[in-house]
Amino acid sequence: MNTVLNVQNLTKRYGDLVAVQGISFSVQQQEIFGILGPNGAGKTTTLEMIETLRPIDSGSVTLDGMDVSKEPQNVKRSIGVQLQSSSFFDKLSLTELLQLFGEMYSRRVDALALLKEVELQDKAKSYVAELSGGQKQRFSIAAALVNDPVILFLDEPTTGLDPQARRHLWGVIKRIRSEGKTVVLTTHYMEEAEELCDRVAIMDHGNIVSNAPPQELIEKLLGKGFKKARVERLANLEDVFLDMTGHSLRDE
Amino acid sequence: MRLKLKLIAASFKMFVRQKEAILWTILLPLFMIFLFSFVNFEGMGTVSLGIVNYSQDTTLIALLKPIRTLKITHGKEPSELTALQDGDREVVLIIPASFQPSGQDSLKLYLNAERPQETQAGRVIIQRALDEMVFQRTNIPRPTLVTETVNSRNLTYIDFLLPGVLAMSIMNSGIFGVAFGFVMLKKRGILRRLLVTPMNTNDFIISQVISRLAVLMLQVVIMVGVGMLLFDLHFAGSILDMLVVGILGGIVFLAIGFALSGISKSEDQVAPLANIITLPMMFLSGIFFSRSTLPGIAHTVTDFFPLTYLADGLRNIAIEGATLGDIWPQLLGLTVWSIVTVFLAIKAFRWE
Repeated sequence: MNTVLNVQNLTKRYGDLVAVQGISFSVQQQEIFGILGPNGAGKTTTLEMIETLRPIDSGSVTLDGMDVSKEPQNVKRSIGVQLQSSSFFDKLSLTELLQLFGEMYSRRVDALALLKEVELQDKAKSYVAELSGGQKQRFSIAAALVNDPVILFLDEPTTGLDPQARRHLWGVIKRIRSEGKTVVLTTHYMEEAEELCDRVAIMDHGNIVSNAPPQELIEKLLGKGFKKARVERLANLEDVFLDMTGHSLRDE
Repeated sequence: MRLKLKLIAASFKMFVRQKEAILWTILLPLFMIFLFSFVNFEGMGTVSLGIVNYSQDTTLIALLKPIRTLKITHGKEPSELTALQDGDREVVLIIPASFQPSGQDSLKLYLNAERPQETQAGRVIIQRALDEMVFQRTNIPRPTLVTETVNSRNLTYIDFLLPGVLAMSIMNSGIFGVAFGFVMLKKRGILRRLLVTPMNTNDFIISQVISRLAVLMLQVVIMVGVGMLLFDLHFAGSILDMLVVGILGGIVFLAIGFALSGISKSEDQVAPLANIITLPMMFLSGIFFSRSTLPGIAHTVTDFFPLTYLADGLRNIAIEGATLGDIWPQLLGLTVWSIVTVFLAIKAFRWE
């Protein structure tokens, strides 16, 4: 397998605070790689260094064979980015926005095809302000795809979404992966990581404390003799919620 | 180049679709001029005369009527005298019941002591009307005054006001539009999102400036056009010269807007800064009233305000038909200001 992203001893300091403490990991082609961790663990800072948004203090990031700190412009051409809580221009339709973003990569974009990819073709003429939370997140994924990137970075793509919209977005992310893209995402939802990610890195205080497929991590914990205080039943409350409210999306 | 054009088109499109922006930049200035067009400054040179006529004769009144300086009201004695005390009349004329053009009755004139100039004028006019009345009954030859009126361009207050309000709206849309617009783009993470694309950031700034200057040109053309159509503006100059001066002024105020958006983190920080800069200029740069009433030192200081240069430049073109060569001091002032403010903007502007 091809390594698309290789991070070595990546470090970020803010004054005395070391936000990211020399972490290393790599992501293979067509993998969905999750970065988990509590708030302030350094997830977003790590992503932003890889995405060229923040200078790298020390260590190296190689993306599709390019050194991020040496070739930021070329790296930008190869990545698709969804930023945490970022927005888009008002008063431009989704189609116009995608075309404009395409122009920033000197590409003519088939906006409708991209909107279809994230199931927003009905909203082609709408403004972003008119979209629901889930639709906004899906649109920002479409915008991240305008340059047909090698790798897609999604920072908390499902935060704030209802269970239906979250599940729907999982479907979109899986489909994008099946079309050959590599995905790196951060999340606070463990069931999301378990469902979506081939491999997860758990970060805390700027360090990666473990890096393995979710099932492997669970087996390892059980192997240590871990027992839940309350025995998990075959269904949980989310299953009840979805059984009562259905899987269909509410935001359309 | 293609990207720049697309960015300019997109930003122009966004402006046109933003109803509030059109309201602020185009409709509000026009509304201001509309409001001020009701202020009757020409009415200041009149004398309001109340006439109480106890007689049947109207010869004197007929002579007074065509005199345009007089604003005549007819009423009963008590109410007219009350109006005089209230300051609503400058002069009240009582014509006695026995009055005849050939008689020797005395007419009584009440004068408002607070308005010496108007009462003086009113008194002379009425005396002159009485003399005329007497003359008309005789055939004594007399020298006559042949008058010829020379048409001045008869400038109105609107002619003074409109170029000023235009300058003010160029200032406001430059400073407020850019400062608020960019702080919003920053705060909502839109600029960050643009930073992860390979787009050259200068292309984005340049296209923003160009699209805003295009809006500014629209402002100039619409204001002058509507002024001529609806407000009887006596526009004597060249609209192209207006655009040149407008753009030069626009650059100064856009640059101030960029500088402010660089040093502010939120709309709450921008608002007071923008107001501190715009309010003094709005009131002291001769937008609504001539600066000639300002005391010496204030007059000298306001000479150097960028809005003074812009308003004077636009006004000289609009009402005197001045050419760009005629207004070189204003052009020089604006050029110096644009160099200073663009330098400040480059220093202060931040993408994040």
